[in-house]
Amino acid sequence: MVQTIKLVYSNFKYVVLASTIFVSMMIGLLILSEYIFLEPYVVAHLPSGSELGFLLIVLLSALSALVIPMNIFRISVLKSSKQKMGGGIFGSIIGTAAGACSCGPVGFAVISTFGSVGATATAFLTNYEIPIRIIAIAILIITYFTTVKSLKVECKLNP
Amino acid sequence: MNKKGVVIGVIIVAIIAGLAASYSSSPSETVNLDMGRTHGTISTAMGSPILGDTSAPLTIVEFGDYQCEQCYAWFHETKPAIVRDYIDTGKANLVFVDLAFLGRDSIPASMATYCAEDQGMYWEYHNILYNSQESIDNGWANSERLKAFAFSLDLDMELFESCLDSEKYSKRVQYNIQQAKANGVRGTPGFFIVGPNEQQQIGGAQPFSVFKQILDSMI
Repeated sequence: MVQTIKLVYSNFKYVVLASTIFVSMMIGLLILSEYIFLEPYVVAHLPSGSELGFLLIVLLSALSALVIPMNIFRISVLKSSKQKMGGGIFGSIIGTAAGACSCGPVGFAVISTFGSVGATATAFLTNYEIPIRIIAIAILIITYFTTVKSLKVECKLNP
Repeated sequence: MNKKGVVIGVIIVAIIAGLAASYSSSPSETVNLDMGRTHGTISTAMGSPILGDTSAPLTIVEFGDYQCEQCYAWFHETKPAIVRDYIDTGKANLVFVDLAFLGRDSIPASMATYCAEDQGMYWEYHNILYNSQESIDNGWANSERLKAFAFSLDLDMELFESCLDSEKYSKRVQYNIQQAKANGVRGTPGFFIVGPNEQQQIGGAQPFSVFKQILDSMI
């Protein structure tokens, strides 16, 4: 497992990519979930009872930053199928959507645009935000292990 | 002459009957609304009664939804300090304006607060809703629960039920939603701090420190 990570991240390009994904995803999710406000002042705020939500955002961002570059490595260096990228992207997207659609601007825009269908979707994503994020993290963990396994086979790494 | 008198009589009776029918089919709002009440660019005429000193130099206008979890967070985390330091001291007052958009129970919940206002219990009912909030549309704010909240406040249930069931305040809530949109509010909770010469917008359930900084700069 360590060998596989070393193989991918020995290339500085993938370290930069992982850092970019982690920072942009985490800051984006913290803004969407209203842990960070940009106006009228830049301020971070963690309301009591929302510690688990914050922890899940950090985990989701870290796993996305780990898994997505590994899959890009497989596609670009080893010319593997692009379909195998699906798990990482899917996990990241559903994890992101869970927090985005609440009573903030994104939820308001979705409901204003799609009416009752948007309201139903928003209510679902808001009510089940924590379980959806946990599922997204589980998908990313599974994707990580399958990626490591296939990299070992494709790169003929010693176990 | 007699024929003419009969015709005029019939017309008068018809007009009276028509007026009586229109009043009985669409109940008008009986609350003393100040239709000219504005705070900055916002018409708060159809919003809540003013919490605090009506002559306070600053007004906090809150746009909210009773099913919004961020509004719940603001109500419990930030509002108590604002009430303590600014509203109870007469430096500011607060008006709540409905932006009920999240689910099917959001608008009835807003209407119910005005039915409680008819009996002088707006803020008590408002507080009960934010203390009882659960998941969106899971039934915590359905018609039966809204009536149960009224019962727990010892309201006249006949009056409250007829008000809620007839959707007496439907247009009032819709007017408030329009005010939110017209003033560029794009989510809940949304706030405007309105002073004598300026107003400042705050989006989201921001901490007390942000409100303090703005309120202090405007006093």
